[in-house]
Amino acid sequence: MPPDDFMVRRLRISGILVIFGLLIEAFCLVWSRPIAFVVLVTLGGALIGLGVVFFLHSLISAPPHTTDSPGISLHKQ
Amino acid sequence: MPTIAVVILALFSALLAGVLVVRPAITVSRAGKILAFGVLFFLPLFSLAVGMENEMQRSKSTAFCLSCHIMESYGKSLHVDDPSYLAAAHYQNHRVPADEACYTCHTNYAMFGSFKAKLGGLRHLYVFYLKKMPLPEDIKLHEPFNNRECLHCHLGARSFEQGATHNADPDTLPAVKANKLSCISSGCHDVVHNVGRWGNNVKFWDGGS
Repeated sequence: MPPDDFMVRRLRISGILVIFGLLIEAFCLVWSRPIAFVVLVTLGGALIGLGVVFFLHSLISAPPHTTDSPGISLHKQ
Repeated sequence: MPTIAVVILALFSALLAGVLVVRPAITVSRAGKILAFGVLFFLPLFSLAVGMENEMQRSKSTAFCLSCHIMESYGKSLHVDDPSYLAAAHYQNHRVPADEACYTCHTNYAMFGSFKAKLGGLRHLYVFYLKKMPLPEDIKLHEPFNNRECLHCHLGARSFEQGATHNADPDTLPAVKANKLSCISSGCHDVVHNVGRWGNNVKFWDGGS
């Protein structure tokens, strides 16, 4: 897989995880029931945490860049 | 931070993350990389922390505790029009904050007290959703009520330290302070909520809600 596709795909996956986590958080804050706290911590927190970890992991595991193409990379071109 | 502000923050963060998902090419620039780091690392974690803090604060509110059907009669007990009812007297006279009445008395004023109170709350949720719920009058405390929770406010107060009954016997106050003589289960202040034992003559105060 080319490095750009690799990063793009990982960015999208972590972005989607974070989006779902944040939407669950927003829902739980509006949903005034005791179970909302548990859902926020377990589901929302897990999705956001997973998204963040996935993003950080993709930063350190990205293959080196060889071309001027989109995507985050820690490696110098 | 108000709940609506936290909700807006979470939705705004989700919107920015959505922009990254739709257009990942913006991360090619330096500003895009910074944006990606903020949107996929800083903002979600900040939003989650603020959201959890908001929920923690809300979980201390009287309305939160009374939002479960099984607690309704305990909420009603705060309005009993009889000063001998300990919970009602504290609530109606603002000896505890009216909006955090349950939490103020039922938290643990020791290290990790709030944490233990939250664990107790999780246990309530477990029973509420997964076990057979007891009748309101059958609900018991997890452990005997520690005088420390009363003394957190009353220790040093003139009415407590110089009260006639408290000083009738010189051994009483030291025993109370050492948690050897319970405030609520030694026959002194034992009428607390008394749910299920109100009888037909009990009246309710309609203020304070």
